[in-house]
Amino acid sequence: MNGLQGYTPGTETKGERGILLHRALMYGSEHDFADVAVPYLREGVKAGDAVVVITSGARTALLRERLGAEPAARIEFIGQSDWFKGPMQALADYYDRTHRDWWPRGRLRLLTEPVWTGRTPLEVQEWKRHEAILNVAFAGTPSTFVCAYDTSALDPHIIVDAAHTHPELVDIEGVRVSEHFVDPAEFYAGCNAPPLIPPPAGAARRAFASGELPGLRAFLSTESMRHGLPEGRVLPFVLAVNEVATNIIRRGGGTGAVWLWTEGDELICDVADPGRPMEDHFLGYLRPRPHQPGSAAMWAVRLLCHIVEIRSGDNGVLVRMHLKLPRPPRTPDHRP
Amino acid sequence: MSSSSTAVGEMKFGDHLCLPYDNDAERYAVLLAYIRDGLRSQHKIVYLAGERRPDETLARLVRATSDPDQAAVLTGAAETGQLAIRPVVEATGRFDPGESPALLGMEIERALAQGYAGARITGETSFTLRGRFDEFEDRCQVTFGAPGVRAMAVCQYDRRWFDDAQLRRLEERHDGRVGVNAVYADDVLTITPLYTPPGLRLAGAIDESTLSAVQRALREVGGRGSHLCLDLSALEFCDMEGLRVLTRASQSGTGIDRQVVLRGVPGYLGLMMRIYGWEGMPGVFVEEAVR
Repeated sequence: MNGLQGYTPGTETKGERGILLHRALMYGSEHDFADVAVPYLREGVKAGDAVVVITSGARTALLRERLGAEPAARIEFIGQSDWFKGPMQALADYYDRTHRDWWPRGRLRLLTEPVWTGRTPLEVQEWKRHEAILNVAFAGTPSTFVCAYDTSALDPHIIVDAAHTHPELVDIEGVRVSEHFVDPAEFYAGCNAPPLIPPPAGAARRAFASGELPGLRAFLSTESMRHGLPEGRVLPFVLAVNEVATNIIRRGGGTGAVWLWTEGDELICDVADPGRPMEDHFLGYLRPRPHQPGSAAMWAVRLLCHIVEIRSGDNGVLVRMHLKLPRPPRTPDHRP
Repeated sequence: MSSSSTAVGEMKFGDHLCLPYDNDAERYAVLLAYIRDGLRSQHKIVYLAGERRPDETLARLVRATSDPDQAAVLTGAAETGQLAIRPVVEATGRFDPGESPALLGMEIERALAQGYAGARITGETSFTLRGRFDEFEDRCQVTFGAPGVRAMAVCQYDRRWFDDAQLRRLEERHDGRVGVNAVYADDVLTITPLYTPPGLRLAGAIDESTLSAVQRALREVGGRGSHLCLDLSALEFCDMEGLRVLTRASQSGTGIDRQVVLRGVPGYLGLMMRIYGWEGMPGVFVEEAVR
């Protein structure tokens, strides 16, 4: 039995090549998971779709066993921890692989299981935002994203937000519209609602204006290395901050300041433009096209960092960049 | 090819530099700047030429400048004697590495006695070919290295006449090499012209403060041909706008597309091109830096 009333996978590939389907697969047991996933994948193999599974080793083993060797051999299995390193990296990887490998073969039929355990609250927040952005980034593309959520193991707020970020839900009962789906722009704005805690008093600070970026870059190099950023990662970090500062000089209030400090295993850098708010419509999340620069700079800034938070309002703009440090920093945390 | 050379505009008394050239554009860019700076500073220019007739040498210099004003200045200076063109054969009778530096010393003394503020010597390859140039250049080093000397020299070497070992030996007998003036230089970025292949070498950082200089330099090299080489091996930093300008240098201001070679592209710029999806821009060939 496949238990998929209302779910007719055979039809979605016909005449719907440009339709994005984004579904949360809610399951309470491994058995339920396989009961939904296996027919979904089998149909894809049969339809000649590009079928891709991104999940844990245990789930991969279960699926391979239930699918049988022949269909499994036609599915690309990707390790969960290889793929879900950071929300921005995963987004960029989706862009790359879909264009390069998957869509050229046909419709993409993806089964993923995002990683939620071991994440900081900020990371969990950003992975939720990532799910909302997928609706926009891949709108109108021949793709089905089915994202698996273990309702027996995950925190309830993760399940609640999965219903906010996925237009459809699927379980052993079948596919249904998510009544709690929230417009991605609204969800995105909601993620930006909580104010950022100001930098600690001991954070290193430097102001900048036009013509002063060479000095700012020297400051960033010295300070980031002092805080334990490995030498090979200093230049990408400096490139990121320089882009934000350049944007403030060229298109923002003209002058700004940076703060740098460490918190836990993260190096954090704030860049503030007290002068002017900045429009943040999925800023830096949608891949720049070669002939449409648009928000290309912020796309790079996000990719060069682990997580980037933006707050924009009447008090100007604050861009907060998080970088992972390889080990506990040598200098003590300045936060009182 | 190492890049360490003294810009001709930075030369001072006592300098004895060599100019190994393999094309006339580069050679005359240096020489004309050397002569122009000298004339402006009330120096006497002593040009030891390969031709027997000074007017032929002068005509060659005049042809090399695209600036009619400078052509007139050169002709005028040749008439007053501030630009003294001496056929090598006439100057020395024969090439004697022991005697020739002494003659140069006399030329310097004469220039100062004539009331000039100093002397700028330059000589062409041909005279050094005739003799033991090692010995000659060693003696020149002594002449120009003397304390308080109010003279400088540029020795022109046509690269095609020398093998690498000879060129190295020659360079060692000078204070170094002389090169073209930068088309742009500040604390952040230096842009110097390249001649073989034609292009620009960018050293330092391209950011919001230096971007317009890059755009101007790219526009100005526009007329120089269908190929453009941008040497980025010493470009320590380049922001997104800078990278955009570099990867679009194939679209010259004149509307004629040219083939652009990005040479010695540092690893971080390769990364940024991948991030922006600017690899494989039409008309742009990327040579990554050798690590």
